[in-house]
Amino acid sequence: MVPENMKKQLALAVRSIQWSYAILWTDSTTQPGVLRWGEGYYNGDIKTRKTSQGVELNSDQIGLQRSEQLRELFKSLKTTEITPQSKRPSAALSPEDLTDAEWYYLVCMSFVFNIGQGLPGRALAKGQSIWLNNAHSADCKLFSRSLLAKTVVCFPVMEGVIELGTTEHVSEDFSLIERIKTSFLNNLHVNDPNKSALKSRNQEDLAYVAFDDNVESIPEIGYDIASKTSPDGSSNAFQANQPLDETFMVERITSGTSQVQSWQVMDDEISNCVHNSMNSSDCISQTFASPENIASAPKCNNPSDPFAHNPKMTVVDPRGDDWHYQRVLSDLLKTSDQLLMKMHSQKFHQESSFVCWRPGGATDCQWPRSGTSQKLLKKVLFEVPQMHLDGLHESQEENDYKEGMRLETDEIGMNHVMSERRRRAKLNERFLTLRSMVPSISKDDKVSILDDAIEYLKKLERRIKELEVQRGMTNMEPGTRRSPQDMVERTSDHYFSKNHNGKKSVAKKRKVCGVDETGKEINSDALKGSYANDITVRTSDNEIVIEMKCPSRTGRLLEIMEAVNSLSIDFNSVQSTEADGNLYLTIKSVFTGATIGTTKRIKQALQKVASKF
Amino acid sequence: MKNIYNLSPSHPHRLALGSFIEEYTNRVHILSFHPETLSLSPHPSLSFDHPYPPTKLMFHPRKPSPSSSSDLLATSGDYLRLWDVRENSVEPLSLFNNSKTSEFCAPLTSFDWNDIDHNRIGTSSIDTTCTIWDIERTVVETQLIAHDKEVYDIAWGEARVFASVSADGSVRIFDLRDKEHSTIIYESPHPDTPLLRLAWNKQDLRYMATILMDSNKVVILDIRSPTTPVAELERHRGSVNAIAWAPHSSTHICSAGDDTQALIWELPTLAAPTGIDPMCMYSAGCEINQLQWSAAQPDWIAIAFANKVQLLKV
Repeated sequence: MVPENMKKQLALAVRSIQWSYAILWTDSTTQPGVLRWGEGYYNGDIKTRKTSQGVELNSDQIGLQRSEQLRELFKSLKTTEITPQSKRPSAALSPEDLTDAEWYYLVCMSFVFNIGQGLPGRALAKGQSIWLNNAHSADCKLFSRSLLAKTVVCFPVMEGVIELGTTEHVSEDFSLIERIKTSFLNNLHVNDPNKSALKSRNQEDLAYVAFDDNVESIPEIGYDIASKTSPDGSSNAFQANQPLDETFMVERITSGTSQVQSWQVMDDEISNCVHNSMNSSDCISQTFASPENIASAPKCNNPSDPFAHNPKMTVVDPRGDDWHYQRVLSDLLKTSDQLLMKMHSQKFHQESSFVCWRPGGATDCQWPRSGTSQKLLKKVLFEVPQMHLDGLHESQEENDYKEGMRLETDEIGMNHVMSERRRRAKLNERFLTLRSMVPSISKDDKVSILDDAIEYLKKLERRIKELEVQRGMTNMEPGTRRSPQDMVERTSDHYFSKNHNGKKSVAKKRKVCGVDETGKEINSDALKGSYANDITVRTSDNEIVIEMKCPSRTGRLLEIMEAVNSLSIDFNSVQSTEADGNLYLTIKSVFTGATIGTTKRIKQALQKVASKF
Repeated sequence: MKNIYNLSPSHPHRLALGSFIEEYTNRVHILSFHPETLSLSPHPSLSFDHPYPPTKLMFHPRKPSPSSSSDLLATSGDYLRLWDVRENSVEPLSLFNNSKTSEFCAPLTSFDWNDIDHNRIGTSSIDTTCTIWDIERTVVETQLIAHDKEVYDIAWGEARVFASVSADGSVRIFDLRDKEHSTIIYESPHPDTPLLRLAWNKQDLRYMATILMDSNKVVILDIRSPTTPVAELERHRGSVNAIAWAPHSSTHICSAGDDTQALIWELPTLAAPTGIDPMCMYSAGCEINQLQWSAAQPDWIAIAFANKVQLLKV
């Protein structure tokens, strides 16, 4: 509980000795045994003053107002930390308006001390005043906020600990403390401390109930950041003992959320690193050194805790005594002015990620030596262009007919190069089609494919002749002289059609049903077993199986294959059967992901082909 | 796989990275780097589709100017594209097609933005050509058959001078004032060992560096002594994937390779007979695919490996 007139008392005290600031550290209402910001008064340099009202204020009022505004600013910045989406509530001050001393004061608001720890904690534990000179160079265990204040004095009072600080060097003078103490005693005991509590403080405390249970001693802001910035899926790639703080990684950006961040938070004396994760199962936090200081009591006993977390505390070596200050500062500023950010970043000293090279020094580092070297680079340079050409080919084909009309011939022969490439791409594709249609292909090279195809055709031709002879058909119709295309279509039949009489009669037959079909095309799927086109497309996790039945016709198979190709489906196997003037086709294909169409689209495209005649 | 990224000079804390998937589902992301908190934060609203995998990304090389909030980003791949990176969105600005005869252009392996004449971008293509664009007028300034085979990388030296490397194993320098001639300043020892990447030392234009296919060497060339490299850096224990000269020093170069290491070298005035040792090293634990040492942030080297991007403090 902070007495109402505390601020005035602080103001009085600090102004009487002309120091920079006064802070009352008080017992946390929610967390006994912990000192936190109770009240403060800022008496230092002011850069810009913003007054909404034109009324002239006396210096007293100005000081009080400034302190209020600073507190307000701190809260508003903190709110932004917790909910970065929400707009920062308008504060009378913006971060740009602050002097360095004011920054220091502001950052102090984020500290929490265990009793016996830090300067305020010690003062309370010992019940004595502590006078610290040269605070900026003091051991960070004793005083970690050592950036600006040169002289800091802490002494216990009834409500907690008063801290006074100045940027000047002031030699030890306990009579000064006594004087202030007395003035506090005189003034404060008149008040009933139970009567008043700052309304704003209560509200603020509410926000911390959630974690006060779990976290003993960390700066509040640091905590907020830690819990906010470790979304699920995070894993920590830092290796213990390696000073890789400078290295940050972003993993799996594609998902847009995952992010790896490690936060190190320094506090007075105790150095805890809280590595929180929304999804603690994915979180690896590592322990650094000197575990005697671990003050971890991770209990998650508040089910309604908005940050359902599982804190893991680790100890960090207390390097960089202005770490916390810088951290809080930059986090506050993250949402603020970029220029300021730059200014402060210059103070930030970091170690290099690199270590000295030693001959054969990295023998410990093993890497997967297998596989091709420069894999990704080669893909970018060698394979990706091919990908482009494949995509190009499709649309290029449509443009091919225009080629003749082009007036301008490329002076550098680029056209020739490109059309040659396209031609080769086309050839390759046709070879693949051929390969998929001929069974028992021994090798993958083009000559073997052709050899096997020739062999296969010969075999089929012999077969046809045999069958024709068997049937006693000596007089062949003039139209049955088969074109190679026709041959491919008909001979790709593995089961071989029984209906192999002249093609003309088949065509006629089909024409008849084709006419009937046109009207039924739409619901042809439903009419299973009818003469309409039957197409089913099934996709399992990485395979597409297309089964279709359609009236047989010269070149039909080729058309279908082309249609399938145009959907960028790489087929593995094609089985076709021709029977009763119908073509039965099963296409199996690997789902590459590059497939343009959905099942529906594939179906539609095939239906279009199948109903064409 | 994350692979390609670049830091923005006009927003020194910004970097762009492109995914590399051999499908048409690639994206480009813009991240902000916070050196104070040592964190990277994504800008979801600034991430955009780049179906064809980008082969290179680069921000406009202009110096920081607080007045302009928007930023230009160029990407190469199926085309050279310019994007306007605004506060909360990325808009396609223009698409450059160098083919007079078709709406398609040969795939681009790389490009470089001229940092003296900001209107110039040079692209390298597998069709053996380099194309110099005037991006202001979106016209081809010139197109040269640069090599006998695919051109894999291009780098500007001066406003009108660029160099390129190719599958034909040569490094050639071109001067736009005399398009008839080019100077071969290096040829790979075994004929037809492709040269994959090229970096021109912006602090001392006499020097450039290139890497060979399947080689652990970084070849340092002096354009005054063609055909003989001045140094070969051979301390990588796997193939080298990326090289970058220090933006602020003429004698430092960083290389990264399959041996998971990023090495920083200081080039001595006189090389020891045993070869040059790197100054310092960093191990990423995984093959490093890409490396960027941006003038906007000379203290930081960005590397990409597997699906990760790391910023290393120099």
